[in-house]
Amino acid sequence: MKHILIVDDEETLCLLYKEELSREGYEVATAGNADEALALLKAEAFDLIVTDIRMPGRDGVELITDIMALRKDIPIIINTAYQSYKQDFMTWAADAYVVKSSSLVELKAKIRDLLDR
Amino acid sequence: MIERIAFLAPDFQSKEPRELALLSIISQSFIQPFSIEDNLLVILTALTSGSGVGFNRAMLFRTDRDKLKGEAWLGPRTAEEAKAIWDVLSTPGIGYVEIIEHNRWLMTKLSDSLSRSIKPLSYSLAQDNLTIPATSAARKEMLLVRNARQEPLVDPRFLEILGVEEFLCVPLLAEDRIMGLIVLDNAFSRQPIEPKDVKLASLCGLMAGNYMYAAWLHNQMIEMERLAALGEMAVFITHQLRNPLTAIGGFTDQLLNGGVEETKKRRNLEIIQREIRRLEDVVTKLARFLKADIRQAAPFDLKAALLAAVRNPDLGRKGAGIEIVADIEEPLPKAVGDPTYVGEAIRNLIDNALEATDKDGRILVTARRQDQSWAVVTVEDTGKGMPASVRDKLFTPFFSTKDKGMGLGLLFVKRVMEAGGGRVEVDSEPGRGTSFRLFFRTGDERREGA
Repeated sequence: MKHILIVDDEETLCLLYKEELSREGYEVATAGNADEALALLKAEAFDLIVTDIRMPGRDGVELITDIMALRKDIPIIINTAYQSYKQDFMTWAADAYVVKSSSLVELKAKIRDLLDR
Repeated sequence: MIERIAFLAPDFQSKEPRELALLSIISQSFIQPFSIEDNLLVILTALTSGSGVGFNRAMLFRTDRDKLKGEAWLGPRTAEEAKAIWDVLSTPGIGYVEIIEHNRWLMTKLSDSLSRSIKPLSYSLAQDNLTIPATSAARKEMLLVRNARQEPLVDPRFLEILGVEEFLCVPLLAEDRIMGLIVLDNAFSRQPIEPKDVKLASLCGLMAGNYMYAAWLHNQMIEMERLAALGEMAVFITHQLRNPLTAIGGFTDQLLNGGVEETKKRRNLEIIQREIRRLEDVVTKLARFLKADIRQAAPFDLKAALLAAVRNPDLGRKGAGIEIVADIEEPLPKAVGDPTYVGEAIRNLIDNALEATDKDGRILVTARRQDQSWAVVTVEDTGKGMPASVRDKLFTPFFSTKDKGMGLGLLFVKRVMEAGGGRVEVDSEPGRGTSFRLFFRTGDERREGA
């Protein structure tokens, strides 16, 4: 079973993503900030990471930098409420950029694509 | 020995050379909080006052895109008026403030008809066959015209309004821009325009041009800041709306797709309800913020507003263990503002202080009269404080140090204070605490005047 890590400071969204992706047949872990996410990454093996950008403490862009240093091969999807972070070249290191939306269709499709590669 | 000297003397009417007096009036006006119109009036005044260059009349054109438009014309209409004005202006001890006041009065009462008469004058600087006076601006050169009626290059419509044979055109320039044009004449004294007058007028023209350019740049900057703030606001609102919308959409889809057990159905609805309330909160805060300066400011009971804010029962719940002390001077004058908004502003400050302060900390709210015109309220905490880099951004829209902060609270405080003619200042030191000072205009003078 593919293992996905969700990083978002919105608890409600972590819950939603966990339920929805579990239904799709993935094993899902959630983290509320960058430090929690890094601790989980060091302890467990993940096949894909979905991360928010704007979070208390270190943001998603910094998290991506850390993940790249740790493991270059994990696909990363940025999932944020902002379009504007696309202009930050550090976000280009991610494999996909999905703006938060009331429909999870696009996010789910991107996850499938990246895991099927 | 150290001698303290006023930067610019308020009284120019002495034995100084008139050139110095003239430049002094103009320079002094530029450091006053006058509007651009008032400052242009000062320049026209300087050019026409007896103590200045001493032209009889000054006509101002301003550039509006590629058009040169008649804007104001300062001077007497008849020889009698001219004498009356010169008598006033040569009274010893008269300073620039009096002269400006006098001329403001002149513009509204006397020369209004003069200014009106030149309003229809408009020249397109883009066209080739320009006539005088526009040629002077377009070519960026001063033109001294004598025997105007015999000069085919002078616009006959302009000449008919001006009604004299001799006049001087001074373009107002800044860098490569044409900001406007001044036309000067001696309609009443009939004195010929002399080379030294021309020289001084050219200096005034340069000063006026650069001043107008600075004012134009300032306006451009304000407009750009406004647009930037709008852009930031749009981005921020998008974010504030997208998170709840994602949750509402996702949990609604779960319900609609079926297969959700009963307990989960209720949970989903509760989440949806909570997120909708969050959206509502964003809308309410934005609406309140956007109209904060629309309400009428009036004198109100500052002490009552402060006590209401400090004694609010919510504070006890939020700030368990933190001591809130109110030290309000008696009697406290009335302050000018909107009591409801001021109350909310002070609540905001106390809320912030509570969040920044540890359990055994203290928040001190003081109020006292500073002088006849000002009352000061401080909200001081012994909390964690902030570095200068954060302090400088405190009143920037959508800047927040809180995880879920909208970054509107302190901006709201600032707008509430400014709406009543007051201001807000802040001091902070990391590890020591933060102190906000609210300066209120007192309502006393109004009552006395009424």
